[in-house]
Amino acid sequence: MQLLRPSATLTRWLLLAALMASHGAFAAEPLQLQVDKLIVAKAAKQPFAAPADDAEFLRRAWFDFNGGIPSAEETKKFLADKTADKRAKLIEQLVAAPRFAEQMAEAFNIQLMERNGSNDEWRSYLTESFRANKPWDQMTREILSPDFKDEKLRGAGWFMTRRLDKVGQQDTDYPGLTRDAGRLFMGVDLQCCQCHKHLTVKDYKQVDFNGLFVTFQNTKLQAASGDYKTAWVQEAMMTNKYEFVSVLSNVKGATGPRVPLGVEVPLPDPAKDEIWLVPPDPKTRKPGVPKFSPLKELAARLASPENPLFARNIANRVWWQLMGRGFVEPLDLNHSDNPASHPELLDLLAKELTDHKFDLRWLIRELALTQTYQRASLLPVGAKSPPEELFTVAKERPLSAEQLARAFLAATGEQERVVGGKAWEGVEGKKHTQKDFEKAFLAAFANAAKEPELNVNPTLRAALFLRNNDLVLWSLQRRKGNLLDRVAALTDAGKVADELYLAILSRPPVAEEKAELEKYLTKHAATREKALGHYAWAMLSSMEFFTNH
Amino acid sequence: MNPLCKPWEHATSRRQFLGASAGALAFGALGGMISPQAAEAMRKQEKQVLFVWLDGGMSQLESWDPKPNTEFGGPFRTIKTSVPGTHFSELMPQCAKQAHRLCVVRNIATKDNAHSSGVARIQRGDPKNRGVAYPFFGSSIAKLMGPTASKLPAYVWVKPGSGGFKAEDAGFLGPKYGSLAFGDGKPPEDLLRHASLTVEEDEERNELRELLNQRYTAQRRPTFTEASSFVFDSARELMKRADVFDTTKLPAKELDRYGRTEIGQHMMVARNMLEAGVRFVKVGSYGWDTHGDNFNASASLVPKFDRAFAAIIEDLAATGLLDHTLVIAMSEFGRTPRINGHVGRDHWPEAWSIAMAGCGVKAGAVVGATNALGTDVKDKGHDIGAVFHTWFKALGIDSKKVEYDNNSQPLPLAHDDMEAIKEALV
Repeated sequence: MQLLRPSATLTRWLLLAALMASHGAFAAEPLQLQVDKLIVAKAAKQPFAAPADDAEFLRRAWFDFNGGIPSAEETKKFLADKTADKRAKLIEQLVAAPRFAEQMAEAFNIQLMERNGSNDEWRSYLTESFRANKPWDQMTREILSPDFKDEKLRGAGWFMTRRLDKVGQQDTDYPGLTRDAGRLFMGVDLQCCQCHKHLTVKDYKQVDFNGLFVTFQNTKLQAASGDYKTAWVQEAMMTNKYEFVSVLSNVKGATGPRVPLGVEVPLPDPAKDEIWLVPPDPKTRKPGVPKFSPLKELAARLASPENPLFARNIANRVWWQLMGRGFVEPLDLNHSDNPASHPELLDLLAKELTDHKFDLRWLIRELALTQTYQRASLLPVGAKSPPEELFTVAKERPLSAEQLARAFLAATGEQERVVGGKAWEGVEGKKHTQKDFEKAFLAAFANAAKEPELNVNPTLRAALFLRNNDLVLWSLQRRKGNLLDRVAALTDAGKVADELYLAILSRPPVAEEKAELEKYLTKHAATREKALGHYAWAMLSSMEFFTNH
Repeated sequence: MNPLCKPWEHATSRRQFLGASAGALAFGALGGMISPQAAEAMRKQEKQVLFVWLDGGMSQLESWDPKPNTEFGGPFRTIKTSVPGTHFSELMPQCAKQAHRLCVVRNIATKDNAHSSGVARIQRGDPKNRGVAYPFFGSSIAKLMGPTASKLPAYVWVKPGSGGFKAEDAGFLGPKYGSLAFGDGKPPEDLLRHASLTVEEDEERNELRELLNQRYTAQRRPTFTEASSFVFDSARELMKRADVFDTTKLPAKELDRYGRTEIGQHMMVARNMLEAGVRFVKVGSYGWDTHGDNFNASASLVPKFDRAFAAIIEDLAATGLLDHTLVIAMSEFGRTPRINGHVGRDHWPEAWSIAMAGCGVKAGAVVGATNALGTDVKDKGHDIGAVFHTWFKALGIDSKKVEYDNNSQPLPLAHDDMEAIKEALV
């Protein structure tokens, strides 16, 4: 017999939530101000980095909300703009643009699928959902309890069908799906509880793993046929609890579908309830369709305002996405002995997000307006290594392989030709496509499948790619209208520096950089064009280009 | 339901762990601060490993542990070796001449008789279940010893088929400690300097990049930029030594000695890599799973291995590298004494052999024995855990004391109930 376990943590969260709600003065303040207050309060006397300058802010916002870099023209325009609210306006513009949904879809695809293949319907499901600003709880329900017959929604099912695909002779990886569902939607990694209670995390019990596991193990991957245009998962009848035993203590337990650290779904009683929607037909041997869908019931309870871990997880992940570090780290080890760096702030974000019906666009916009998001990545004077968890300095974040490919093409001025397919006339040799670039950049920069991409991680493969790859060096040859063409046409070294720095690093050069480039060009006057290509290469391979800072 | 935890458990802790330790390893004591001559001298004392993997299972009866004129002995005779009293199969005439440099353990008794699990289990040392995937030996050495002063990648795998960056071997240590694989002995994509660049141009643009990085990082946390510099440096060292990996330019005379075969070529590339300073070189050879027609297959396969392996032992001894290079040749198991209906031998983990040489192991020794028919080990055999302890010890790593730190979860290097094979060690 299982009861809901009221853990100390849960009780504390609920209490805090109640406190916040009753705190009138606090609630009246916009969220962005409350965020900054709590960050400042926690940092105590630690020095804060200065606000990011306009160029750093512009580049950061572009990567986060557009997924690419601004053109030199756009950068110049923004830097010249003297209006006080230009940052807020820029955020509005970027978040309202069509690219925002595509960038969100890209980020969530990487986070939810962890480079485990690609699927067009899944991507377009994500893009359309973010375009419609679909609430996160609804998306989660659509992903965990997919409607495989609905043309627009069936793409969501790839989260599950991909993981249930058999690899070689291995068993269908139901435990892997269980683990990922817990990690990604609730921030709890229950893997260790498959066979016994967690040895180091007291909140995680064997029943928590098995409540999810029984729900997924009740499904079977089926090939596309008839009404189903894609692979789909079929649910079997479930009227009995799943029994398990600890391999350490031999203690037995049983559970039906259950939200980890939460409620259990009651099972239908065949003696009292009608259990079939379509009963099995013994003559045609057609399996019936059960009335009770464990996936649907579980998804409804998991992606719900009643489940505090659901809101905490997404609030923590959105914060991580914009600030480079979660309040709870690792992102998938939420439990009472691993408290958030800013417990009140995480509670506040989770509550506000719940009150705003899991509107991620709203939360992202609020966070983008904070001083915390808009801080410089330059350390404050005298601070050698300020603790990351205080958020006193903007953290450098990795760019995805897709963002890098996009930024690289934009910076080298080959975007129109390669992506748009324009102005290939007169170009000798192979005509490269956007797909060529994406494929090459993914191979060089994306993590191995099933490895979460969380940190900047320079690799030997990436270094070799940048040094010697054909596509990289092709982009740096002079071609009509590209970056090299533009700078090669300029005679003044200062103007060359302006163009290179604005196009590649989205900022104007400082005097020292201008002088350096001038000296370099004087030295290589005889082979100026080639030298310019090398200079651009050095900038494109530098860490300033390669991180979101 | 599978009662074992899945390998990727604790992936999170690995991430954290690496974050903390990558820099420390990357910027070890030697990074760029000593002269090339000093580096060379220092490297000469650095321990290295050659690991020859005969995938599918070499027959011990047609190689290290022949049983002529017995029920299961097969058609081949034995020959004398350079060690009086030690005999190998007649398919190994070259290795027989190197026997005084080898250490053959004939009483290996392991547990797994399936390829799919055995290949990984044996190369991970089959520790007690810890709920994490253990690293292959090469990744383990890459982690524990790092690159040599040469700065070349620590773990390189010369193999037939595809190449690239193989992360799987690293287990919980994380992809950084995976192998750099040379498929068909060829370098991975983008290794060679681009045709449009001269050495000078390449160096100059790289110096520019370093300069830009220095300015960028001056007022920022140094971690990422340092890690970036390290991989760019590694890339440069690797590109400089591209000659090492070029199989098209191997001298004909030497190639004849190694054999004009796949394994012969790959073994020569391996020798060049060891000479250049790669810490751990794995040479892979496939096709040893002789369920059918074992004797014709062995008559074809074993001499190819024999020639290549003996040649590299000879060369490593001649240059003095053998003194600090641990050499290992093995499979995931041996083959059944019983000859099946297809005149083949099946999988046999119960009693088989491993050959070693070089650093820390007893030259000219034969350790343990199988019974008269070769069906089982005499007395107690040695499981793979004991073999791992032996290797670590040979390399001067105390595997009873040193532990992995998997996000503050201490993990033993090898099976903690097992001991090194003393008779195999000097």
